[in-house]
Amino acid sequence: MPIGEVIESSTRQFVAEVYRDQAPPAFGSWVCVALPEGWRLYGLVSHVELGSTEPGRRPMALGRTPEELRREMPHVLELIRTTFRAQVLAYEDPQGRMHQTLPPYPASIHAFVEACPPTIVQRLSRPYDFLRMLVQSPDPAVPIDDLLVAVLRQIQKGYHGPEGTQALIEAGRMLSRLLRDDHERLEAILRRLD
Amino acid sequence: MGFKPQSAVLDFAQLQQQLQDFAAYQWRQRNVLQEKLRAALEAWAAAPEAEALNKQVKDVRPSWLVAQLLGTRLQECRDAPERPATVTVVAADGSQIFPDRHVEPPCFLLNVGRVAFQLGTLEPPRMESVPRFYYRQEDLRDFLDDRFEAITVEVVSALRDEYELEALLELATEARRAGRPLVALLDGTLIRWMIRRLHQRELEERLIQRYAELLEGFQKEQIPLASYISRPGGAEVVNLLRVVRGECTPQPPALSLEGLPDRLLFAQLLKPGERSAVFLSGSHIQWAYAREHQIAYVYLAVPARYGTVEIARIEFPQWVAEHTDWLDLLHAVLLKECEKGQGYPMVLAEAHERAIIRGVDREAFYDLIGRQLLQNGMTLESSRKQMSKRRPVL
Repeated sequence: MPIGEVIESSTRQFVAEVYRDQAPPAFGSWVCVALPEGWRLYGLVSHVELGSTEPGRRPMALGRTPEELRREMPHVLELIRTTFRAQVLAYEDPQGRMHQTLPPYPASIHAFVEACPPTIVQRLSRPYDFLRMLVQSPDPAVPIDDLLVAVLRQIQKGYHGPEGTQALIEAGRMLSRLLRDDHERLEAILRRLD
Repeated sequence: MGFKPQSAVLDFAQLQQQLQDFAAYQWRQRNVLQEKLRAALEAWAAAPEAEALNKQVKDVRPSWLVAQLLGTRLQECRDAPERPATVTVVAADGSQIFPDRHVEPPCFLLNVGRVAFQLGTLEPPRMESVPRFYYRQEDLRDFLDDRFEAITVEVVSALRDEYELEALLELATEARRAGRPLVALLDGTLIRWMIRRLHQRELEERLIQRYAELLEGFQKEQIPLASYISRPGGAEVVNLLRVVRGECTPQPPALSLEGLPDRLLFAQLLKPGERSAVFLSGSHIQWAYAREHQIAYVYLAVPARYGTVEIARIEFPQWVAEHTDWLDLLHAVLLKECEKGQGYPMVLAEAHERAIIRGVDREAFYDLIGRQLLQNGMTLESSRKQMSKRRPVL
């Protein structure tokens, strides 16, 4: 079941609009877009935004509860949309192999975006090269450490039992190398996991 | 030789003196209007009851357009009743891309924005725009101006007005809910006096006929229809007072009320939220319609800041005016809408948002029809002048 649709796209990232009847994906969760001929792109949600559907109209304070708005100004909530940006960090080729690098093609505009099940992190695991891309070429508009916290949380959630701890340790090791043993920074990230 | 600065497109230095004169002139005009307003208020207080008043007009037959009072007393004002907790409000507004003289083949576009709100409920709103593209030569031929062999702005505007009403009726019947009151709203006047400016008798008659049929459609469905005019320019009620003051007699008073609009008068007379008595418009085009479809109106004092009011005019066909409960409903709905829309009915503002065609849309429209033609091996002919206007170069 698609949660939204691509409205801007490049090989590095895409922006999607969330359908009105769907919940937006969580910050740091994985979404997926299918390309023709069997390619699939995996993106990490790095930014979620609410705003006006119309460029010339800005929301302003109306002094009414959401229910009052729906009863007396029903257009107001209809004119708000949720969009999110996902950094493309991996793709699956038509043979079903997962690659943790940028894809050869961008997602098509208007392609459907689906939320990945939590277990997707089991396929986006060792050697955690996507973490390298995330740390070394971060989206400048996103506080990268907070995104890393969210990513680690997703890893925790995607396994049952001790496997989760094991995966978390592996990802933490990779991060430690990427952060060049900046212990204080790594500690700050791990502290926020609890 | 000194450097002479290049003149800007608009020379503000030259304009300055003219602007000062303008301000002085407006000040004098305002004083004259104040005097007229005082005289009008005196005549208002002295005006007789409807029967005597209308007889007076009939006897002197003034050359100006005079409102006919439909109630019993000129001075009656009404407060708004409570709006029903749930009510269906539908509204429509239109816009267009006029035929472009520089583009061949000739074509034009009408766009109606329409909304239906089930107010007081949690039902989702309907908001849409419905474009209609006119391009068939055989259709356009009917609308050509004989003098210029072209489709004029006036004809396109008349067709747009008609389309607004048609789209509104369609939506109103679809949005109607059993047991829930319903009103249908438009922006601007329902009095189609502009049709008489087409200078094409046969086309005028056809448009009048079709317009009457649409009004009849609303009547058949029993949907109260009204239009909202902000800052109305009419002076038919003031003209009525001119009759009362004897401005038609051989010895008229020294000061004439000519030039005083009704809205200035009612801004003094109505308290915030009140509506005036009902008047029937004296516009000549009215006589082309059956009595029940002739347009009547009230003035409404929309509350504004600091306890002041802004006068709006609400127009509706006579068959609406005959139901006081419909007038009450329209009155209550419009006041509440103005409150939510900060002085202008919210539903109409939303319909307008769906209707407007912005500059980029206009460009995209021509690009699209150009592309459609090109796909079929034809081209959109655009004159050099038009191209230079769209892309000025240095």
